[in-house]
Amino acid sequence: MNVETVFPKVRAIVADVLVCDEEEVTLNKRLIADLGAESIDFLDLVFQLEKEFSIKIPRGQLEKNARGELSEDEFEKGGVLTDEGMASLKRYLSEVPPELFKPNMKVNEIPMLFTVETFCKLVSAA
Amino acid sequence: MRFLFVDRITASEPRNFVEGIKHITWDDLYLCPDDKGNYYFAPSFVGESLGQLAAWNVMQAYGFKLRPVAGVVASAKLHRHAYVGDTLRLKSTIEHLDESAVQYSSQAYIGDTLAFEVNGALGPMLPMYQFINEDEVRQQFHEIYRPTDAPLAIKHPLTGLSSITAVSPVHLQFDAVLDGVPGQSMHAVKLVSRMAPYFPDHFPLKPVLPMTVLLECQLNLAKQFMAHFEGGHDFQVTELRRIKMSDFIQPGDVVDCYLSLKSKTETHAVLTFRCEMAGKRVCVMELELQKTF
Repeated sequence: MNVETVFPKVRAIVADVLVCDEEEVTLNKRLIADLGAESIDFLDLVFQLEKEFSIKIPRGQLEKNARGELSEDEFEKGGVLTDEGMASLKRYLSEVPPELFKPNMKVNEIPMLFTVETFCKLVSAA
Repeated sequence: MRFLFVDRITASEPRNFVEGIKHITWDDLYLCPDDKGNYYFAPSFVGESLGQLAAWNVMQAYGFKLRPVAGVVASAKLHRHAYVGDTLRLKSTIEHLDESAVQYSSQAYIGDTLAFEVNGALGPMLPMYQFINEDEVRQQFHEIYRPTDAPLAIKHPLTGLSSITAVSPVHLQFDAVLDGVPGQSMHAVKLVSRMAPYFPDHFPLKPVLPMTVLLECQLNLAKQFMAHFEGGHDFQVTELRRIKMSDFIQPGDVVDCYLSLKSKTETHAVLTFRCEMAGKRVCVMELELQKTF
């Protein structure tokens, strides 16, 4: 599986979860900022992706992927990303425009960056 | 006035399944009259009973440190009403449980007849201390957890009994209709008051509007909407689906509900509901109705 092959089904599921038209769901759309997703939608989305693709997505997997090889202490301090943490995040979320990575970004702000492509990558890697 | 509906847990295997009962009696608050003057338990609260049953199981599994809250329901189907004198046999199967969420499905039977079923229910798990004291909820559980194999329903009643005094149901309705196009849409509003009888139990430390109260208000709004159509009174609710609750609704809040007609034929109708607070989505639902002959 890769991003291109999973995208049609992911798009359909995202549209269903967020109650929007499939045409609105493009790879580069951010789930929260562009498509209006709430926290319950992320839970719903993960469960539906698991069911559709017969995969398991452990809770917190996206954050774990963003952290990469870094320990939690290396990734963030006091809830704010370190310089190495930010570099690791940018490497993982390579599909996100660089200008959206704000200085002193907090860990709990990371989901704001997630795009439809982010979830396609998550499904492909599962 | 309680908002705890499971009268007895008759069997429970934490993280796996749970069974219980709820009697429908004249002591119940949430009764609705049918067109013959017989009273049945508000349909959404049959669903609430099943959800509460599942919640008892997962709360027990986590030592009453975590509790589920309403999230998503793929489908809730009403097959028949539960009338005064009936006993609901409740069963919830836990399909997935971890510290972040529970996924379950449930059925309610009256005798051998399936009355209500819930599929694809998904609820976030949150810390218990935010809602109710851990000791209090544990005490509530031990009051109703009384395993038994004994049948607990009335067998073959000759007839029900009519109410001998006036029944004063709780009004599960929106407070005003603000706008709409007959036969196409309605915009109603609910002002959420601390006076509502369900808040003390839901929950003692954080009163929030039960999702099923909002659903029942929407069912009643649907009846009002369908009355516009010739023969509209003959349409009955068969399924609530794609239900999602995105946020807590608390006393003092104002909830806008937008009802739209999605499709209608001579025998079927599908309505969509979107509730918002200050322009932000809080609840969505799709409702299917069928004409009864």
